[in-house]
Amino acid sequence: MVGETVLLDGEVAATAGLPAHQRLLEALDGKRQMPFPLAGGAMFHLGSSCREEAGRWLPNYVNPTTSTRFDAFMPRIIRELQLTSIGGKGGMDNACVEAMKDAGCVYFSMPGGASPLLSNGVAERIETGWNDLIEQFRLSRFRLDGFGPVTVAIDAHGHSIYHTLQEQAANRLPDILKGLEEARRSIDLRRR
Amino acid sequence: MPITYDIVRKAARDLYGWSLKKVPDDTLAALAEARTRETNPASQKTLDFMRAAALAAEREDRHACSDAGFPTYFVKVGTRLTLDGDIRRAFVDGFADLVATIQPPILKFITHPLTLERSYEGRDMPILSFDILDGADYIEITCSPKALGSGRWADLKVFSYPKIAEIEEYFMQCVLAAGSQHCPPVVIGMGIGGSFDHAAKMAKRATLRRIGSVHDDPMVRDMETRLLAAVNRTGFGPMGTGGDTTALAVHVDYAHGHGFVPVAVCFNCWINRRTTLRIADDGTVTRVE
Repeated sequence: MVGETVLLDGEVAATAGLPAHQRLLEALDGKRQMPFPLAGGAMFHLGSSCREEAGRWLPNYVNPTTSTRFDAFMPRIIRELQLTSIGGKGGMDNACVEAMKDAGCVYFSMPGGASPLLSNGVAERIETGWNDLIEQFRLSRFRLDGFGPVTVAIDAHGHSIYHTLQEQAANRLPDILKGLEEARRSIDLRRR
Repeated sequence: MPITYDIVRKAARDLYGWSLKKVPDDTLAALAEARTRETNPASQKTLDFMRAAALAAEREDRHACSDAGFPTYFVKVGTRLTLDGDIRRAFVDGFADLVATIQPPILKFITHPLTLERSYEGRDMPILSFDILDGADYIEITCSPKALGSGRWADLKVFSYPKIAEIEEYFMQCVLAAGSQHCPPVVIGMGIGGSFDHAAKMAKRATLRRIGSVHDDPMVRDMETRLLAAVNRTGFGPMGTGGDTTALAVHVDYAHGHGFVPVAVCFNCWINRRTTLRIADDGTVTRVE
């Protein structure tokens, strides 16, 4: 349900890079191999840095990146891979919300800038693909264990907290501007 | 003893490194204060999580955000001191030192604007801004890393003979355009007047002012108070998922100009990364924050 706060367990593909999104579209066109299967899975807009310890890749830090950067790519990716969840920050546009509705996909909003606690919910990085790219641009596969709390900000029925809040703010704007005018007037009167 | 290249190089390295792993005290206090006013239960939790994460970053020497952005340095140079060596170069080399030594390492964020190629260095990097402090015998340097998350929502519009209402309406349009996306609650800076470049610089510098500090002009003080209340009526809330706290502060500055009035608006995300130190003429370094 939109607004619900949850902790996440399981596997997720993650990237913070435009090039990885371009390559995903090329893979969907059959022009490139996927580094690992994504269909039916979760995909996060997430920057990350990891270190190797005793043969495992552990997170130094992870943090969401702005999802709207990828709006142009995501509708096809969501529909054709039938993704079940997206994660990131700031939400996505209406075309993405429609694609999510078609695929039965939800969007998790993660707190940005809270990396020390968010990273604690990443158990390990299982693998990375497209390793010619810089670390945060690669397609990485993570195992999550109690990741979050994250907020369900777009559901699979076309409800988007971002759309609602944007509409609410636009509706409130005339009143807000009136309030500013009244505040200016009361200061003028006080000074007289 | 003059202020040397070596001292400034180390200062540039330290300031950037500190800024990545600590949320400033004024910002932590403002978050705590916002928590007492926040009425949305989910947003209360988000604010609690933010504060706990910020404290963990400092306590455990960890990055607050995965995005180190790029460093910008604001340098105020006193007129009663002696400099020795290549001071501009010291900032470039100090930045390189930080990249080479910080643990865990930072990722590549310096982006060529035309090719989008990423690196740890680049033209005009780090971004430097200099000012003169008449009569002072020290240099004061503030480092404020900047990244896309909140950086992309900055805006500037040039008005001619605007009414205050028009300026404030434009400010609100900028707030609505950024919406949920700039990692709120944010600190918002607005620069009014002067020239095109000066308005942008004033807006940026306004974001660096300590939260809770007051402007010396009562007209600006009143504007800041009413604009902060206005922003927090929009309802975007912490991380833009709804609530009463969209901004922690609105800081405004102005300069006299001509009939044309540039108005610049910019945002700092909630971690509000900022560190400052002073270097005295005898080379003594004092961390201010």
